[in-house]
Amino acid sequence: MQLKKSKRSVRSALMAASCALIAAPAIRAQSPDESADGDWQADSALLYYKENQGRVQAIEPVVSLAKDFGDEHVLGLKLTYDSLSGGSPNGALPSHSAQTFATPSGSSLTAPTGGTQTYTTPSGREVAQLERVTLYTTQPGSIPLDPNFHDQRVALSASWQQPLGAATRFTAGADLSHEMDFMSAGGNAAIAHDFNNKNTTLSLGANFEADAIRPIGGVPIGGSDYVLLEKGGNETKTVGGGQLGLTQVFSRHWLAQLNYSYDNSRGYQTDPYKILSVIDAGGNAVGYRFEARPTARARQSLYLENKFAIGRDVLDFSLRYLKDDWGIRSQTAELRYRWDLANGAYVEPHVRYYKQNAADFYNLYLNAADPLPQFMSADPRLASFKGTTFGVKLGMPLSDSSELSVRVEQYQQTAQDVPLAFGQLQGLDLNPGLKSLVVQFGFRFRF
Amino acid sequence: MRAIAASLPTPEPAGDVRVERREPGLHAVSFFAMASPCEVLIETRDSELARELGAAAAQEAWRVERKFSRYRDDSVLTAINRSAGRPLEVDAETAALIDFAAECHRLSEGMFDVTSGILRRVWKFDGSARLPEPADVAALLPFIGFHRLHWAPPVIALPQGMELDFGGIGKEYAVDRALDAVCAMFNGAVLVNFGGDLRTSGAPRGAPWRVGIERPDTEREARMLLDLSQGALATSGDTRRFLIRDGIRYGHILDPHSGWPVRDAPRSVTVAAGTCTEAGMFASFAILQGAGAEAYLAEQDVRYWCLR
Repeated sequence: MQLKKSKRSVRSALMAASCALIAAPAIRAQSPDESADGDWQADSALLYYKENQGRVQAIEPVVSLAKDFGDEHVLGLKLTYDSLSGGSPNGALPSHSAQTFATPSGSSLTAPTGGTQTYTTPSGREVAQLERVTLYTTQPGSIPLDPNFHDQRVALSASWQQPLGAATRFTAGADLSHEMDFMSAGGNAAIAHDFNNKNTTLSLGANFEADAIRPIGGVPIGGSDYVLLEKGGNETKTVGGGQLGLTQVFSRHWLAQLNYSYDNSRGYQTDPYKILSVIDAGGNAVGYRFEARPTARARQSLYLENKFAIGRDVLDFSLRYLKDDWGIRSQTAELRYRWDLANGAYVEPHVRYYKQNAADFYNLYLNAADPLPQFMSADPRLASFKGTTFGVKLGMPLSDSSELSVRVEQYQQTAQDVPLAFGQLQGLDLNPGLKSLVVQFGFRFRF
Repeated sequence: MRAIAASLPTPEPAGDVRVERREPGLHAVSFFAMASPCEVLIETRDSELARELGAAAAQEAWRVERKFSRYRDDSVLTAINRSAGRPLEVDAETAALIDFAAECHRLSEGMFDVTSGILRRVWKFDGSARLPEPADVAALLPFIGFHRLHWAPPVIALPQGMELDFGGIGKEYAVDRALDAVCAMFNGAVLVNFGGDLRTSGAPRGAPWRVGIERPDTEREARMLLDLSQGALATSGDTRRFLIRDGIRYGHILDPHSGWPVRDAPRSVTVAAGTCTEAGMFASFAILQGAGAEAYLAEQDVRYWCLR
């Protein structure tokens, strides 16, 4: 066979290629993967989350550390701190007149004066009987937000991964999370086995979590009249679950993963700070009730992810289907495209679509004429809604061992199946949905 | 999706470095690497300095060998070859070598192919008359071809059954790397010679290095004497590796498209170029041309010596 390239093109191209090869890094320096051994890999990020209309704001710094002890023995540590502030919907409906609520939540409680006290609004309506309480008033037409929603969360997790024989890996982890009124501790373990010349991986995992719910002043009695503020003691919840996963390499360009997971939680699942409006036939709020949720919940989810290599780029497409025995069914579709720019920089656009129907016991409000149901909640997270996320992430290497990234995402949640407003409720936006913005700065480095 | 190429702790290479004063002001440091005797000539009167520089060259040779040898269980190349289709992220140096192999594959129109090493399984060039079964050769062809592997730097996915072999690049690359290592510490004249592939940083005090290239035909002991004051020389071909059947000589240079030896290839080709890697590639490209080797080199406007 004769080479058909013109002589100059081969010579100059070969000269250029040889120079590029020899000029490449690692002139007696260790190659990055050799020097990586024994180093710590650190991922740090600062996330800022803001909801529209003065609702929740969060600032969340995260530091994760990973150290490879060689032979795929990897230790991972992660520390997260959350600082939440702003207002969270308390579950009550908006009204054409001002509404006053008593918050049992968080650090906003005023100093006790001793003994049970009855709190009334300026108009003379009784709103609470409690030893300690903070009152807040919602303006006419606004969705009632508890403005004292601020909390700090510190979470620590640790994981250990190591091979068990040639084709099997074992991972175990533990998590601890602490808030003023909530504590959680959990553990997990998983085993993954490679088959078919490592083209197929089967994994099996289990997890367990125990939570303590300790709202200040006690947990309200589910379904009780908000005015009476009947309180019980502290509550607990346990969650146990398992996962089964299958990863398959189909070709050099296509990898797919299918996961099934099941988890079962038992114990207190109610949000102690959420209430429902009780509405009469004329659309007037005649009272409020604390929400009440079942004490058991079983969830199953099926997740399919596909990764496609397209030249130097990567397309990631995933679908998730989730159902629980509260009647919620949700579907998620997510698409990411990692577009490789020169010099290791990349741009990654991201689109996500989410849809769920409401829990069986979800109600925007309670009818004063109806008997009190056993379970009830007006939490927008249990309603029927659609959510869309649009985002983009930019990443840029700063050196061989560090990368800087910025992620910006916008989320819009739109309520579905909102009942028609009647009587005094007419003209009010009963479920205004939610818009939020996420900005995250990430810095990853090795030391 | 990505796995990082396993980086196991590597034992220190066992190897001796021997220093010898060849003539006043010239030291030779010798050691063994990549199945070849290696020598570094250093223009200095200082034996300790010569030992230090020679050791730096040897460390670099052993490092490249350790990292890219297909015979070592702990090499990066072995990790790639055992990846069985799974995408693997490689380090920057390995990535540069794969990029270079891709460019050579393109420039040689597929004749230079780092995936063709698996043909060794059927071709044993031991001077005998044992040719492989054509069917056995054909069975390997689906696993040969650089275009079949997926290379999205720094991620390589090598389809199952395929193997990379940097044997055609490694020694020349190590010469260039070793010379860089020495020159980072020393300004004088140095010549790095790994088994006949060599490069110099410059001639000692104006007089060029005199390099003797052995004719592959060992019985005649003939040598070509070349003067080299800069750049590199590399030789491709080995007359001791062939098969003869029915009067036809089958040389060990294999055509990756057919899996059979290139017909009428020169016994050896030596090329002069700026770097050893470049010289080595030209020598390989030329020998893959078979009968057209000399014409190809003449057209490329490089200094060359062909032995038939």
